[in-house]
Amino acid sequence: MTDRNIIELRGVEKRYGTFLAASGINLDLKEGEFFSLLGPSGCGKTTVLRMIAGFQEPTEGTVLIDGQDMEGVPANNRPTNMVFQSYAIFPHLNVGNNVAYGLRGKAPKAEIEQRVAEALEMVELGGLQDRGASELSGGQRQRVALARALIMRPKVLLLDEPLSALDKKLREQMQFEMRNLQQSLGITFVMVTHDQYEAMTMSDRIGVMFNGRLKQVDTPTTLYARPCDQQVASFIGEMNILPAQLLGETDNMLSIDAAAFGRIEIERNPNVATSSKDMNIGIRPEQLEIAAEKPEDYPSTVQGTVSNVAFYGENIHYHIQVEGAEKPISVSVPNYFHTVDFKRGDAVWLGLQGASVIDLGTDTK
Amino acid sequence: MIFRSEASRGYTLSAPATAYVGFLVAAPLVILIAYSFWTQTYVTLDKTPTLKNYSEAFADPLVRHLMLRSIWIAGAVTVVTVALAYPIAYFIAMKVRKKTIWLLLITIPFWSSYLLRVFAWKLILGFNGVMNSALLMLGLIDEPLDFLLYNEFAVVLTLAHAWAPFAILPIYVSLQKIDPSLLEAATDLGNSPLQRFMRVTLPLTIPGIIAACLIIFIPTVGDYVTPALVGGSDGKMIANLIQVQFGAANNWPLGATLSLIAMLSVGFVAIVFVITATRLGRRIR
Ligand SMILES: Nc1ncnc2c1ncn2[C@@H]1O[C@H](COP(=O)(O)OP(=O)(O)OP(=O)(O)O)[C@@H](O)[C@H]1O
Ligand SMILES: [Mg+2]
Repeated sequence: MTDRNIIELRGVEKRYGTFLAASGINLDLKEGEFFSLLGPSGCGKTTVLRMIAGFQEPTEGTVLIDGQDMEGVPANNRPTNMVFQSYAIFPHLNVGNNVAYGLRGKAPKAEIEQRVAEALEMVELGGLQDRGASELSGGQRQRVALARALIMRPKVLLLDEPLSALDKKLREQMQFEMRNLQQSLGITFVMVTHDQYEAMTMSDRIGVMFNGRLKQVDTPTTLYARPCDQQVASFIGEMNILPAQLLGETDNMLSIDAAAFGRIEIERNPNVATSSKDMNIGIRPEQLEIAAEKPEDYPSTVQGTVSNVAFYGENIHYHIQVEGAEKPISVSVPNYFHTVDFKRGDAVWLGLQGASVIDLGTDTK
Repeated sequence: MIFRSEASRGYTLSAPATAYVGFLVAAPLVILIAYSFWTQTYVTLDKTPTLKNYSEAFADPLVRHLMLRSIWIAGAVTVVTVALAYPIAYFIAMKVRKKTIWLLLITIPFWSSYLLRVFAWKLILGFNGVMNSALLMLGLIDEPLDFLLYNEFAVVLTLAHAWAPFAILPIYVSLQKIDPSLLEAATDLGNSPLQRFMRVTLPLTIPGIIAACLIIFIPTVGDYVTPALVGGSDGKMIANLIQVQFGAANNWPLGATLSLIAMLSVGFVAIVFVITATRLGRRIR
């Protein structure tokens, strides 16, 4: 990754009639970055991607690619290529001709053939040139689409939910492969997804969108630890959100009264604002300690009852009903051999450390 | 077991239709073939098998001439119709929202009889017809044009108009089936709209184009109403000659022979066309 901006969106807005599909989008993407646009269905991710590709013109604002204003530049003249959600493999062409499509007439035949062979090798489809388009599995179609776009050596590769049509196993494998490919090629990838795990495992940075607005742009770890509001907090991973009272504050720390959990010192989250005594805190399910006896070394402990147990394989999720809390609190425990094993109705203790509590500020809505 | 009973049920269900169609195609064909080996001797039919009709037909320059002209006219009608139909089909499939209404509008010519439409063209193209009157009135010509009617041009024009909907529909269907993301992918890979059309849209609509061509070409070769009404003497086609054999000339065996020759020629041209078009389509990449 370099420090040079390859894509800049400046106050970009897209209206369909009176409907605002995207608005106020400001975004700088670095050369060689793997960037993901994450958000729920219909929030405008595809719209933003298509404005970069040139399939849609913004109604306001500018799109710059490599420093150049893209206004009026049609999609076929932009230094971007796209992997479509449906893959859009040309059904009348075999694999080799699909991959060679964009190079035809632009390079000598021998060179095209060599580059096609290399591109197919790169996506691990070496030697499949003569395979018909209809004879490919879902995963192979995805790879052909990837090779067809990458052979153009784009400055930016755009991917619209490239893995959503694959089953879970293949999807996880492709996530790693695509990430490795991106790093070895050094091309900027912009991927649209509504799968937070996909976004987190693959991306250098993630932009979270809601209702046409870009809410937060950060690295996966920052997004997870310092979300900018409740909406982002509950979209990225699971989160217990609890009301709290602000008691006192210093530059970096807040002293709060967290209802059932009592008084705790927590770190201030620079991404949110706390404008009154009423505020919210977030606690990740895996940050809570659960034990049969009152746990030592925790500044805050609370007693509760197990109301639900869900077994996930690598970890176990408990719902704990706590006195003074509206909703049960989610706790997730790694499934070590024989460590914890609670049943519904068991009385348990929860332990909490101030460092595990996320300051979500005062909700401004 | 289930498979077998399903299959046999299928055969049983389609048996009446198969028998009906088979009988209606096979019986006349058998009669036609039989007739072509017989001879007409004034009023009686000589049923000794002979190849005389065939040698006569092949030797007659008029037969060859009319056959070639029929194929040429039908070919011209096909080319003109498909060339005009494609943009219309494209417009409906790609550019408009209320497709049903447009498709309905296209079938409007069928709401009147074919004969009426041919006569309408006679009125339009005739010496004192609409076209000539209009051109005279506008002062574009000093005397009526006489090359509008009673020639090949009139036949092609009339038939192209009559067949247009049959060409539009199969092409429309094949255009309609194209996934829009394929077109976006072509653009994304650097194609201008024209290149994209030539490399994606056209090859994907070749089945529709072939269907349209066959639907028009095959019946048109054998058309005799249109040439008889608007073709004049140099617009006559093979079917007009066949009609004469079954009518005025009262030579059914020769008529049967000519029919068979026409059928085989059409079949040959159609097969060559389908193979060539498919091959050409495969070469586009
Ligand atoms: N051509 C269009 N005309 C009108 N509205 C549109 C058009 N395209 C998209 N929209 C609307 O814009 C909003 C954003 O659409 P977009 O396709 O960007 O969503 P998305 O975030 O990609 O969703 P998904 O995850 O379901 O693909 C949606 O509410 C959609 O209905
Ligand atoms: Mg989308």
